[in-house]
Amino acid sequence: MAIFNLKKREIECKIVYYGPGRCGKTTNLEYVFKSYKKQITGEMVSINTEGDRTLFFDFLPMGLGKIRNCDVRVQLYTVPGQVKYSSTRKLVLRGVDGLVFVADSLEVRREKNMLSLKDLQKNLKEYGKSIFKVPLIIQYNKRDLAEQGIPLMPVKQMNRDLNRQLKVPSFPASAVTGNGVGTTLKECLKLTLLSLQREFQWAK
Amino acid sequence: MHNQVVLKGNLKFLNLGDLMQLIGANCNSGTLRMHSKYTAEPGIIFFDKGNPINASYGSKTGLDAVYTFFGWTEGEFEFVKEKIISKKIITKSRMGIILEGLKMIDDGKIEKLGPKILDQEISGSTKKNPGMPVVNGPLVDYMYVVDEEDFFDGENIVEEGRHGSWLWVLMEGVVEIRKETSKGTLPIIRLSDGSFIGSMAAFLIQGNIRTATAVAIGNVQLGVLDSQLLSQEYSSLSSEFKGLLMSIDKRLKLVTNMAADYYTNRSINDEQINNDKKNIIQQGEIEEKLYIIKQGKATVGRYNDNNFIPLCNLYKGDFIGHMPFFDLNHEPDYAAVLASKDIKLREIDMEQLQNEFQKLSSTLKNITEFTANCICATSKVVCDFYQQYSGSDSKNE
Repeated sequence: MAIFNLKKREIECKIVYYGPGRCGKTTNLEYVFKSYKKQITGEMVSINTEGDRTLFFDFLPMGLGKIRNCDVRVQLYTVPGQVKYSSTRKLVLRGVDGLVFVADSLEVRREKNMLSLKDLQKNLKEYGKSIFKVPLIIQYNKRDLAEQGIPLMPVKQMNRDLNRQLKVPSFPASAVTGNGVGTTLKECLKLTLLSLQREFQWAK
Repeated sequence: MHNQVVLKGNLKFLNLGDLMQLIGANCNSGTLRMHSKYTAEPGIIFFDKGNPINASYGSKTGLDAVYTFFGWTEGEFEFVKEKIISKKIITKSRMGIILEGLKMIDDGKIEKLGPKILDQEISGSTKKNPGMPVVNGPLVDYMYVVDEEDFFDGENIVEEGRHGSWLWVLMEGVVEIRKETSKGTLPIIRLSDGSFIGSMAAFLIQGNIRTATAVAIGNVQLGVLDSQLLSQEYSSLSSEFKGLLMSIDKRLKLVTNMAADYYTNRSINDEQINNDKKNIIQQGEIEEKLYIIKQGKATVGRYNDNNFIPLCNLYKGDFIGHMPFFDLNHEPDYAAVLASKDIKLREIDMEQLQNEFQKLSSTLKNITEFTANCICATSKVVCDFYQQYSGSDSKNE
């Protein structure tokens, strides 16, 4: 549910990075913030939540065109994973237009990924959304760790674990180096805007 | 032109986080005023071009005040569009404040206002009973108070088993509600300022028999409510709504009785429940319908560590299900309903009830909400007693 701002002739939509704790959501957004400085209006808000950080900033995607003659402004958020932060999660997830699920490639985090994805589905359902319908991208993060000999799950296996039913676009990435971060975001923006366009067409 | 209220509403519907985003997105300048019936003073936030620049609540100002407001989950707000001359004290960004405020709520750093049960003592004399819940009432509407009465420490205001149909509102002090049991007098809950004493059953024509004793703890000042006015209002309600009010009133009495039963260790109908075993409303289920029982028996109870703790038994004419305008902390969120096999229910048209509820006078509304709060607090007592007195038996099964 994007918000129309008639005064500014803007459409404000919301993209949320979701994933298990310490999977690199924050690193993703920090990289975006650093490398797309020109497209960012305002400062980055960072809230220290237990074991995690919640980030927020506004982002103006370039070259994605306008919807019904309105500029598009994107709000990027990460969600605190801990169960107890339900108020924050509610605010962030309410009216979400697009999602990036950041999965941790470490072998030891396999179960955490699956639990978190299930959790996402449950949360979305609470806000009347289906995980199968909302624009969603999966990112397999921390691929760079393979060079250091740390056991990672093959992308193929992760796809099977997480993406078998969803069949959404997925990308390997390394948020620390920035590999794949842009691709993930761009793809998510594309899906989100397409879905918004569809929605508005339908409303016409 | 000035002092024009451009937006008003209820914080329960649009919370402060959403409100700030809305004002922010529209780049509005003006004053946001919030009132809650649980606070004496209103809260104020000043916005300049969509950004909060200052706030005040009592002696608090700036960010401190803004964060407090995140705990106001109930209350009214209004936004007045005007030019703001206040100094810019808050520099933190809007979204930063919202996310921080919500985080502080979840961390328990901000007090949530609402119908609350205080576990801590209210006055010196309550210290002897630290575990007993104290229920606070809403703000007193003096329009309905026709007389004042004083009671001294230890004096009985109402005695169990006696006739009486007076209704009081507690202006100042603490009152303890007790039940007489075979094991002696049992204190159940305490009430403090704003609470109502007496029951809605007094509106009925038949003489009302008091079902519990109310004792003054310390000196207490009571306001006698204009029961004629209230009865008149009550009699003008639809029969369905009357039924609902009576059913809630009855439920409080039943839950209170249940507390006494557990205390005296009368092991209650465990077999019966096992025989019934037809779960019609599950705990935590999203059930948005309200029913009236036409036939059979329904047991409302709470699942606590896999133990089913019966809170009350309901029969024909009682209401079960989701009550849209007040929170009993019973079914469907915090209790389940088991029913006998012959149960028959009829669904109630909620819209009509809700309309009627909205039109109630503030006092009658307060009484119903207060009754709901008492049910919620007493249910907690029941669960505690169950664990204390009869919990051990049922675990050995």
